[in-house]
Amino acid sequence: MSAIQIRNLQKSYRVYQKKEGLAASLAGLFRREYRTVEAVKGIDLDVEGGEFVAFLGPNGAGKTTTLKLLSGVISPTGGEATVLGHVPWRRENDYRRRFALVMGQKNQLWWDLPAQESFKLHQKIYRIDPADFARTRDELCELLDITRLLQQPVRELSLGERMKMELTAALLHSPDVLFLDEPTIGLDVVAQHNIQKFLKHYQEIRGITILLTSHYMKDVAALCKRVVVIARGEIIYDGSLSGIVDAFSGHKVLSVQFAGERMPGDLARYGEVLEEVAPKAKLRVDRTAIAKVLSSVLAEHAVEDVSVEDPPLEEVIAEMFARNQATEVADAAAKPVAAPPAT
Amino acid sequence: MSYLGVFLTFARNSLIRDMTFRANFLIEFISSTAWMLMNLGFYALVYRYTGNIAGWSKYEFFVFISTTMFVNSLVQAFFMPNAQELSEMVRTGGLDFALLKPIDTQFLVSLHRVNWSSLGNFVIACLLLGYALPRIEGYQLSPLAVVLYPLFVVAGVLILYSVMIALAATSIWLGRNQSLYDFWFYITNFSRYPMEIYDGAYGLPLRWAFTFIVPILVVINVPAGIMAKPILADNPYGPWLAVFAVAATVGSLAFSRWVFQRALASYRSASS
Repeated sequence: MSAIQIRNLQKSYRVYQKKEGLAASLAGLFRREYRTVEAVKGIDLDVEGGEFVAFLGPNGAGKTTTLKLLSGVISPTGGEATVLGHVPWRRENDYRRRFALVMGQKNQLWWDLPAQESFKLHQKIYRIDPADFARTRDELCELLDITRLLQQPVRELSLGERMKMELTAALLHSPDVLFLDEPTIGLDVVAQHNIQKFLKHYQEIRGITILLTSHYMKDVAALCKRVVVIARGEIIYDGSLSGIVDAFSGHKVLSVQFAGERMPGDLARYGEVLEEVAPKAKLRVDRTAIAKVLSSVLAEHAVEDVSVEDPPLEEVIAEMFARNQATEVADAAAKPVAAPPAT
Repeated sequence: MSYLGVFLTFARNSLIRDMTFRANFLIEFISSTAWMLMNLGFYALVYRYTGNIAGWSKYEFFVFISTTMFVNSLVQAFFMPNAQELSEMVRTGGLDFALLKPIDTQFLVSLHRVNWSSLGNFVIACLLLGYALPRIEGYQLSPLAVVLYPLFVVAGVLILYSVMIALAATSIWLGRNQSLYDFWFYITNFSRYPMEIYDGAYGLPLRWAFTFIVPILVVINVPAGIMAKPILADNPYGPWLAVFAVAATVGSLAFSRWVFQRALASYRSASS
């Protein structure tokens, strides 16, 4: 059985439509208008034990809501899910001892105390055997290089150091499933890299199941073989990271270096000109036409160097999100539009 | 037993934290003690003009005040900082973390912080009780009172806690709700006086409501009566009131638990 099974999971909220101005606010005291926000609209997903899966999606896509549902913090409006055979929102202690949730934007350690005091509290709450506790703590602190910071009040730590402490606290009870909600948010490149390195190593040696949400493509590229893209509460892609380019990008980037100083004047007929600095040019060419365009360029001009590349992943994803947003507007106006193909 | 271990760690961590902010700790300690002493001075003044209030002589009433101090200092030390924080935890989504822990959420939310400085009044209350008891005319300390008094003080603390946590839990439904929690201070004010003063056309309905609907009148009155007046011997309603106080404690706890669980079930969490 899969470690995580999700079937038609739904979560909607009723939110108060606040109107502008004092008069409208006063009227709102007596009569309120509510709007239903569908944060998660019928998600189906299976994650095997030991997988490291990334959730990608724009803000408000439903990623965090899904993680909160799987952690049992909130209850769904419909559908089913089991994690390690438990229904998360029943909040059984047997389940709560087996997973952890780390949120990059929130901290759970006692702010004014050294982290080690919070760790001891975790030991009591999770009923961790003292010897196991000491071993796990020392191991994690060494891996994350934070042993010397254990005595320092959490409020005096840098953001990166604090995130390492949060991760340690979350892993003290050796969870089988770990949910990470933007663990590297706000961190500098070095700190991000350190966290990535740690997560990769830890996941490899422990073989635990990890679901990660992040806006940093580097996190995802470094850690996850499988990527699930969520937009508007629905899964629109489930596959490899590189597969996103094939599935969502309709074009390739053709870079040409012409021989001599003279540049052809009619480059636009091959495709959209992205960059033109003699003797080099970058063109955006339709994926289906790339072979034809390439052979005509080579036939018609003296070319010194040529390369065909996929557009940068970030760009593809931004484009995909933008397209999805546009679909939303179209959806609202007219009949539903077919979702992009999933692999 | 593991819950006791967790609680002791809460208490320990809170003490470490309080000690980090020594000046703050001392100021809180001094100001809350000074406030209680001023209250005491006020009643001493009132008793210059009258021999008794609703059947309570000066030193009997001092026992009543020390009981109030015991109950309040315990509530303030163990429950108040937590109930206060609950509404903030709901607003910021901090309650998420409490819900992840493999431990009863109400226990965790209600006791994770201990405000040690509030126990200053507990010491003052001991001194005041020791001072007032021998000065009550013809007073004889009964062993039964010695056993029952602390039990009913704890029962009183639990009733006030129940009202507090039930009101604070409504913030889970309402998103933010400091005002209902403030309501606790308004109504528990009534518990600070002998129930006998609630008399007449206006007083009796109050006495009835605050005994049977929100049973805050038994919080101080029952232990204070057990200690200061031979409540179990003289007063025909005394024993029944004590029995009722036990039932009220159980009922209040059960009610607050029900409210808390219902509220948790509809927790929405803050978006991040």
